[in-house]
Amino acid sequence: MAFLDNSGDIILDAVLTETGRRRMAEGNFKITKFALGDDEIDYTLYNKNHASGSAYYDLEILQSPVFEAFTQINAGINYGLLPTTATDLLYLPVMKTNRLKRVTAETNAIATSGSSNLFVVTDSGGDSATSIGAVLADTASVDYVAGDGSGNNYVLLETGLDTGVSQTPNGTAANRQSYLVANGLIDRRLIVFYDGRFISGIRGIAAGSSANAGGEYNNLATGNGLNATLSLTDASRTNIQSGLSNYVAGTVRTVTNGVIQPTTGTNTETDFSVINGPRGIVAAISPKIKNGLDAEYTLYGGTTTVSGQSCKFIDTTIYVQGTVSSAQVQIPIRILRLS
Amino acid sequence: MAVTNYEQLDTTNDVTNTRTLLHESIPLTGTIVSGTYGTFPDDANVKNYSHGQFQSVYDYPYLSSSANHIFDISIGFDESSAMSGSLGSTQESKKINMYNQMSQVLLGYTGSNNTVRKFELDTTLDAVNQMKEAIFVNFSRLITKDQIKKGTVSIQLGTGSWSTPFDSTGGSVKTLTDASASATEGTANTLGGDYGLLYDTSNTVRGLVFYQAGFMAISTSSFDTMTDFHSTSAGTESVLKTFVSASISGSADALRHRIKNISFNNTTEINSSIYFCRVPHNKYNHSANPTYLSASTIRVKSVNTDQPVAYITTIGLYSSDNELLAVAKLSEPLRKDPTNELTLRVRLDY
Repeated sequence: MAFLDNSGDIILDAVLTETGRRRMAEGNFKITKFALGDDEIDYTLYNKNHASGSAYYDLEILQSPVFEAFTQINAGINYGLLPTTATDLLYLPVMKTNRLKRVTAETNAIATSGSSNLFVVTDSGGDSATSIGAVLADTASVDYVAGDGSGNNYVLLETGLDTGVSQTPNGTAANRQSYLVANGLIDRRLIVFYDGRFISGIRGIAAGSSANAGGEYNNLATGNGLNATLSLTDASRTNIQSGLSNYVAGTVRTVTNGVIQPTTGTNTETDFSVINGPRGIVAAISPKIKNGLDAEYTLYGGTTTVSGQSCKFIDTTIYVQGTVSSAQVQIPIRILRLS
Repeated sequence: MAVTNYEQLDTTNDVTNTRTLLHESIPLTGTIVSGTYGTFPDDANVKNYSHGQFQSVYDYPYLSSSANHIFDISIGFDESSAMSGSLGSTQESKKINMYNQMSQVLLGYTGSNNTVRKFELDTTLDAVNQMKEAIFVNFSRLITKDQIKKGTVSIQLGTGSWSTPFDSTGGSVKTLTDASASATEGTANTLGGDYGLLYDTSNTVRGLVFYQAGFMAISTSSFDTMTDFHSTSAGTESVLKTFVSASISGSADALRHRIKNISFNNTTEINSSIYFCRVPHNKYNHSANPTYLSASTIRVKSVNTDQPVAYITTIGLYSSDNELLAVAKLSEPLRKDPTNELTLRVRLDY
């Protein structure tokens, strides 16, 4: 993982990946498209206030050393440049997990477990007289997703322009239209990458599942309450490559995030949304745990105690990416079962 | 994570193929083949086999995993040679077999009886000027690569006494070169590929070099004025006497003792595909890099009328089913904004 010599002319260092070599051996090596990446760049080094003027704004960025090319596909391009043709964009959406207490109390969205920052998904493979779900819900008061697909709990995701409380543009419907919809930054589907060794599939929002007639997640119910009845269905599998070993991908639907700053009532927009600004979409992610996990807990996980019950766990990460905006979030998951 | 934004290549106009010839200079000094690793003739980098048909020379003691095979030495004569038959040569059948194996692969057969051709000290293969006895030097593909470059071969042989084979005061170093060979002329083509002639400084042909095969056949005439080509406990021997009485490995030892230098340029043929990745002025000016945003605001802009800018460090080349087949990295970030349009030329060598 050396750096390339950047003392002279700009050169290109190109290598075939493992996949490229395999496909060359198989006789089906054909390159038809390309993508551009900037993983080494730290845009915080862009200094718009440089005293010497605009020619110096990117001085440090242009001096960033670049690594040699890797042959592993997971080290190819993690983020990438966007083909957006608009030149007048000042904002781009971000993606966040919503763990607000009001939301987890009024919907099936779950919070993380205590201070661990992990979302808990249960594996009922170790249940006997006592179930892992009962231990978590009744004894430990921990939110969880039932990993056997039986429940309706989920991790709630939002996208939007998180410009900050009382900052411009704020979270009005008009701003959503002009900053997100008009610029084509609404992700109608999200790509979910998960470790196929532990997770057999993902459930996402089912068509037409939101409470209000417009199919929105919003705060337009009586008294500015939450419209957020989301039901779940299995995600579609896709062949999009994550580049991570053992990871597979599915796509889930999204619904419009119609949360806005209410003009009446006691609720505020921040009661229901972690995006402080124009909001794009919401999505629900509910992992289904692979049947028969056992030795994997020893190989890839560990043991812990929850409310006096001995448990096994595996920690893994689910990656979610917008199909249009390329906004991404990583969801840390703890798969938990009774020993 | 996953790349979802691709730019299509026009596989007719954006892809081209080319071939490049890369040459490396290969100098093989005589001390490597005799004297550096042990005491001649039991050099630790020289391997003899129980079958006794050839001798292998390495660049390091051959029992080490670091050793690389450089070349093999053998000798042989045709069954019509004066050394064949009544003289009772040591390993006679093997020496004849070695000659036949070299000639049948490199020259093939001729005539209604399909007799194997004989090496000739010219490029005509007309059964005139035949070389019925020869010393063979077979170079490893590790150093010749795809072929030896024509016109670059030089071998210096010591023709001095056995004790001082390279006596500089006596002019006792004979240099053979393929001086008349070039990429376009001076060679002949046979089953074994192109071959050229090895001339000494008096312009007399003393051997052949087969470029693609990486093979030299050196005529015994290079040493025919010497009475001590080889030295054993029984005394000294001329080259012809050595061919008769010494084993193949003994003859190979004698040659190694007299190699002062071998040099040539090898050739590696590199086939390349060149992909012209054209980046339009109005696209790829924004990034999904997490540091690109601060509170959802694009860092490189202050107001929306500022030009967006992004910096390219990596080009991923993909198949139609989105598999990453090759990666190219720029040595330094390349600025991309709406005022410039880039063509990135990515060359993949095979």
